Amino acid sequence: MSHIHIPDGVLPLMLWLPGWIIALVLVTLAGRLAERSQVRRKVPLLAVVSALMLVAMSSEIVPLAYHVNLTVIAGVLLGPVLSVIAAFIVEVVLAMLGHGGVTVLGLNTLMISAEMVLGWALFRLLVHVLSRKRVRWAAFVATVLTLATTTTLLVGLVALAGGGAATARETGALSPATMTFANPLSGGVFRTGLFSGGEGDAGGAAGTSPSGAGALSVRRFAAVVYTLGPLGWLLEALITAWVLGYIGRVRPGLLWDGGFEQHEVHLQGDEGVR
Amino acid sequence: MDIGSVDRSATGDLGWLHRVSPAAKLIAFALVVASVVTTWNMFVALALLILMLAAAISARLDLRLAVPLAAYPALFALVFALASAPDPLTGTLIVLKAVAAGLAAVTIVLSTPYPHIFAPIQRIVPGVVGDALLMTYRSTFLLLDKFSNLLRAVRLRSGLRGVHPVRMARATTQALGSLLLYSLDLAQRDYDVMRLRGYSGRLRARLPRTRNHLIDASLISVAVLALVTSAVWRIQWRTLNPYSWLVPLPALALALVAVASTVRTASGKARP
Repeated sequence: MSHIHIPDGVLPLMLWLPGWIIALVLVTLAGRLAERSQVRRKVPLLAVVSALMLVAMSSEIVPLAYHVNLTVIAGVLLGPVLSVIAAFIVEVVLAMLGHGGVTVLGLNTLMISAEMVLGWALFRLLVHVLSRKRVRWAAFVATVLTLATTTTLLVGLVALAGGGAATARETGALSPATMTFANPLSGGVFRTGLFSGGEGDAGGAAGTSPSGAGALSVRRFAAVVYTLGPLGWLLEALITAWVLGYIGRVRPGLLWDGGFEQHEVHLQGDEGVR
Repeated sequence: MDIGSVDRSATGDLGWLHRVSPAAKLIAFALVVASVVTTWNMFVALALLILMLAAAISARLDLRLAVPLAAYPALFALVFALASAPDPLTGTLIVLKAVAAGLAAVTIVLSTPYPHIFAPIQRIVPGVVGDALLMTYRSTFLLLDKFSNLLRAVRLRSGLRGVHPVRMARATTQALGSLLLYSLDLAQRDYDVMRLRGYSGRLRARLPRTRNHLIDASLISVAVLALVTSAVWRIQWRTLNPYSWLVPLPALALALVAVASTVRTASGKARP
């Protein structure tokens, strides 16, 4: 439940614009840091891990309206600096596929980055506490805690939007009282009420203040998210635990050193065979 | 999601939208998104959606590809609407906004090669981010291809059987893990090859020049008109709201013309 599946135009400008600005600043800083610290060699790793998240996020589990994110795996493999860049890349591609709004791209980048960095930090901490032999447990607990935290962040964000200018529409355009089939040529021959209340006098209705009519129900949203979310968290935690456990067994350097090992031997794959 | 089909559609020369310059398409897309953000009127949002459908149909985009892609955000928007919208009208509007903006994005993606879409982003982000953006798209193809092969191999060795869900989950996640390791090696080798061939830390994607100024200007004009309509209806809502039902009609007419034109072309091609 990491990134925001809220369409364009629902969250207020005062929320998504700072999101965009902070995300761009963070991505620029991360990019500069990456170039300074010779991480350019890790660009392929960054691309592959981003692609993996992209594929995971594009596959929805329909009954839960949930998709796996693999953010904790990505965070552990990439570390905090590259995580910010990966989050931005994934959100740009997803936005171009219509998944997640363009305006919420900045907020989504921040949410995913937070999830990856938190997942990385918790995983490291838990491995330190539990020992390196318990990678699966560390990954499982880190994923559940991370997803619970970011879901709470998401609910907080909707609460911010719900109480603010996003929904208290001063335009009144959502007021059923003014949504009528008025005929501009004959002064109301075809005029019928579209919604309850639409049959009334449009002029009078338009004068009423509908502000606050469109306020989002944060409580209901939180109830739905905290009911369906834990199923998704468990699923994601199991996948993360199994995958990180497997990587920890087969190529432990990826978990502890981060990225490519200098002495790594690259085996030839079948794509080179004709 | 079949990214291969998305790429084939983007690089083919199917219709008029493929001939519009990427810069004009991106400007039009930004204007349509601004219209979606601005409007809080259900009929205006519906008009935007119909307009996008008309563009997709007339551009001969594969609707079997475009509609499911645009419907994907609708599903999440529906959950959000059910969970938080105070009334059905607001809920409908939230879903309409999601589908209209999603269809606009999908229409651009299905008619523009990805390096052209990423080129403007590359100019504003650090080099490492721009390079990773391009390489991510390529890696996605490699991953999807390899993952389907791996799953087939696991299935052939009876690793995936519905009767053993735990065993199936373990096999799938181990396949995912080995896929990840394989992809890392592949990406590393790709990078080494790029270095050998002169890569010095910047992949540059260039935007092609305009082929037809008139068609570019027309597209941007329609998008500006959409934004103006959204803004006017938002500002002058007291006067205009009762006439909101008129807004989708021109868009509907455009969509009908697009459908008629597509049917005519298709029947013309079918004749010997």
